[in-house]
Amino acid sequence: MKKFSLTKLLLAMMFIFLFVLGGCGGNDAEETQGEEDPQVEDSEGKVDEEVDDDGIYSIDDFDPIASNQGEIIDGGTITFGLVLDTAFEGALNYNFYTGNPDVQVIRWFNEPMLSIDEDFNYTQDGAATFEVDEEEGSITFTIRDNVNWHDGEPVTAEDWAYAYEVVGHPDYDGTRYSQQLSSVEGMPAYKAGETDTITGIEIIDEKTIKLTYEQFTPSLLSSGVWAYPLPKHIFEDIPIEDMPASDAVRVNPIGYGPFKVESIVPGESVTFVKNEDYWRGEPNLDGVTLRVINPTVVAQALQSGEVDIVSSFPADQYPDHADMSNVEFLGAIDNAYTYIGFKFGKWDADAGEVAPDPDAKMADVNLRRAMWYAVDNNAIGERFYNGLRWNATTLIPPSHKNYHDDSIEAPTYDPAEAERILDEAGYIDVNGDGYREDPDGNELVINFASMSGGDIAEPLANYYIQSWDQVGLKVELVDGRLVEFNTFYDRIENDDPDIDIYQGAWGVGSDVDPSGLYGRNAVFNYTRFASEENDKLIADGLSKEAFDVSYRQEVYKEWQELMVEQIPVFPTLYRAILVPVNNRVVNYAIPEVPGIDIHRHELGVTQEEPFVAGE
Amino acid sequence: MWKFIVRRLMIALPQIALLSLIVFIIALMMPGDALTGLVDPTLDPAAIAAQRERLGLNNPWYVQYGDWISGVIRGDLGQSFRYKMDVTELIGSRLVNTFWLSLLTTVITYLIALPLGIISGRYHDSLRDQVITGYTYFGFATPLFIFALVMLWIFGFNTGWFPTGGSVAPGLTPGTWAYVLSKIHHLLLPALSMALITTVSTVQYLRSEIIDTKQKDFIITARSKGASESRVYNYHIFRNSLLPISALFGSDIAKLISGTIFVESIYSYPGMGQLFVESILQRDSSVAIALVLLFGIANILGTLISDVILSLVDPRIRIK
Repeated sequence: MKKFSLTKLLLAMMFIFLFVLGGCGGNDAEETQGEEDPQVEDSEGKVDEEVDDDGIYSIDDFDPIASNQGEIIDGGTITFGLVLDTAFEGALNYNFYTGNPDVQVIRWFNEPMLSIDEDFNYTQDGAATFEVDEEEGSITFTIRDNVNWHDGEPVTAEDWAYAYEVVGHPDYDGTRYSQQLSSVEGMPAYKAGETDTITGIEIIDEKTIKLTYEQFTPSLLSSGVWAYPLPKHIFEDIPIEDMPASDAVRVNPIGYGPFKVESIVPGESVTFVKNEDYWRGEPNLDGVTLRVINPTVVAQALQSGEVDIVSSFPADQYPDHADMSNVEFLGAIDNAYTYIGFKFGKWDADAGEVAPDPDAKMADVNLRRAMWYAVDNNAIGERFYNGLRWNATTLIPPSHKNYHDDSIEAPTYDPAEAERILDEAGYIDVNGDGYREDPDGNELVINFASMSGGDIAEPLANYYIQSWDQVGLKVELVDGRLVEFNTFYDRIENDDPDIDIYQGAWGVGSDVDPSGLYGRNAVFNYTRFASEENDKLIADGLSKEAFDVSYRQEVYKEWQELMVEQIPVFPTLYRAILVPVNNRVVNYAIPEVPGIDIHRHELGVTQEEPFVAGE
Repeated sequence: MWKFIVRRLMIALPQIALLSLIVFIIALMMPGDALTGLVDPTLDPAAIAAQRERLGLNNPWYVQYGDWISGVIRGDLGQSFRYKMDVTELIGSRLVNTFWLSLLTTVITYLIALPLGIISGRYHDSLRDQVITGYTYFGFATPLFIFALVMLWIFGFNTGWFPTGGSVAPGLTPGTWAYVLSKIHHLLLPALSMALITTVSTVQYLRSEIIDTKQKDFIITARSKGASESRVYNYHIFRNSLLPISALFGSDIAKLISGTIFVESIYSYPGMGQLFVESILQRDSSVAIALVLLFGIANILGTLISDVILSLVDPRIRIK
């Protein structure tokens, strides 16, 4: 009897749970329906991001700038959500940080000396202006008089030079020693510890500094200068190896940006107050609170108004929250692309250049072109990413507006064409196993490496394999499974012979010059591809003539075309960045988009309290 | 007693030494290193190679191990490559957070487990017992990360009773009263979510122990001698049923410092669990090794404490 009642009770409880869960689902559905109406009501000044009913969105319907034109109130504070599932590292200085999350924090209180236009070229609107001497190969920078550190000390030429001295020092153990620094004359010798002075740096007066370059290329003027001074009066007493761990970096960092750091809770939040002395003018807001927010709860935090702006919104959650009534979704084309790369050979470390192997499995361009024709990237973008990623055509994404050439006709999904190309090139199934053999009649198995991570990784890799399967190519995952991030790059970098093709992604960086990714001497040229036409165009893009912008654009258009012909890699998807912003926020633009003339001191709110969803 | 503890410690030392070696070798066997993830074409490849050399990543493993272990003996666990700070300092800052969270969780766990277990065992197969058992089944069946999310959704976002992330409200001065209160406020929800789920096994243990004990001969003896029902339960049965629980207590102490990745991520609470997973994914091996070693030591000590507690409460176990 007693046993029986226990079972009955359990059964009853199971029913209760069933109802509770069922109830939850029902509520959700109602909420979304209920929210649609108010959205129509307050859609004045709001971009209509509603698209077709099939849940496919298009980046063309998004704007990178908040459309709110309401009247800004005096003061107010906002909360910025740094979307991250870990803690931020807390090396809060441009000269010492490692990861991108730290940059998101730094941007609130510091900024580079130079500002950029929509093609990432330097302009004269930043904290410093500059004059170029092409003959001598030097640039002279003049820091504006009203640019001061948060402690009131002026930002000086000496501070700027000091950044070069610290980051270029043999004792420096961070990761910021890039070509931006090493291209300055005398820098390599200084880094090697051979001299104590850098010959290419000359301090002319307190606010003027001249940098002379080993090789003077157009790249320098498109975000190629290390423009992050380090306050010497604070750092000079700290040994260089102790700087990254010092309080001046982690506890009370300073800059010359629109906000000052007030307090930091390591790894989770930072409070900022306005810098009344900011050189562009006093900020509208009294302060900003930055806190780390987990991607799983970011939508709830936006709905409840707990955060006003977030660093980025997980695109896969967008379809469920597209009609959130209290925020506006800003969007822009990300400076990146996903691609399929083909392995051509090995890295020759002694010669410092790639060594393509003409007999490599993927050496035949027809095979590569057929593989491009065989995949339907638009379908991938729509099915897997709701249209927030879409078919890519060239290796310079449209985020570089004036360099991307959308007139180039890159292969798009056409399996019949793929089969035709393969047939003509001699890839024919001779032994009747359903798969094509190579022109010599040997069995052809292509080994495909793809990274793990996220829910989409596995179905996506399978989709590619099936697409190639349908045109008769046998493609298999390396080791039969996806590869973890570090292992993946370790194997690609070391030219693992088991890998024939791989799926990767590149952030393009601010300068369009592709030599760092596709040049003959680039370690990051993971495909190990090289061709003379490619060498020539890359060199042309960096030549003296290329200081003429229209010439440079022409060169890179030719280069994009060449890459579509020679196919060392083929780009698969371009992607969107989404940034939701509370409806009370005015003057916010996605910071990753270059050349927008809106700055953080202009940021303001139209009311004290954030809008809450459903009100 | 002391002999016993000393003997256990003597065994623990070589265990720890062996652990450190295994951990170190396994960490080095992971493909890639801290610099692998830096696939950034603006970085000078020569500078990256120089960094590898500088960090000693090209040395054979026994040289690296030698360097590392001699540092450890001097109390220097090395530098975190990602965080650019001393590993000891980094772990120290996370350890404090995790310690308080785990301590509160443990306290709540036992505050829930003891009464529920006793009621459930004392009145077993009654309606009360069935409700409690039902709850434990629910607890066993619910994954912690789902439960933590639901709790956060209800009590954080919907009712707004608790903060939704972080370990303390931004902008408060450490050491002030408001700071301490804010810390406790931030701790409550994650601790509660965790305790409500983890407590169920303790409830079940206690319940079955009590049911078991109350049928033993010495209880019948106690009753027949006229001991009151409450004395029988609170004194005779409860004490004896605590034995297996106290054995678990040692491992709870080890848990105090290991943290939980799920709860820490969901509540954006910077603790040890997060640090551990992150350090492995980013190949920040000095941190990963130090943490595994620390967890290992905590477990060895936890077992030791369990044994000591057991021998204190149960004279039969004591080793002569």
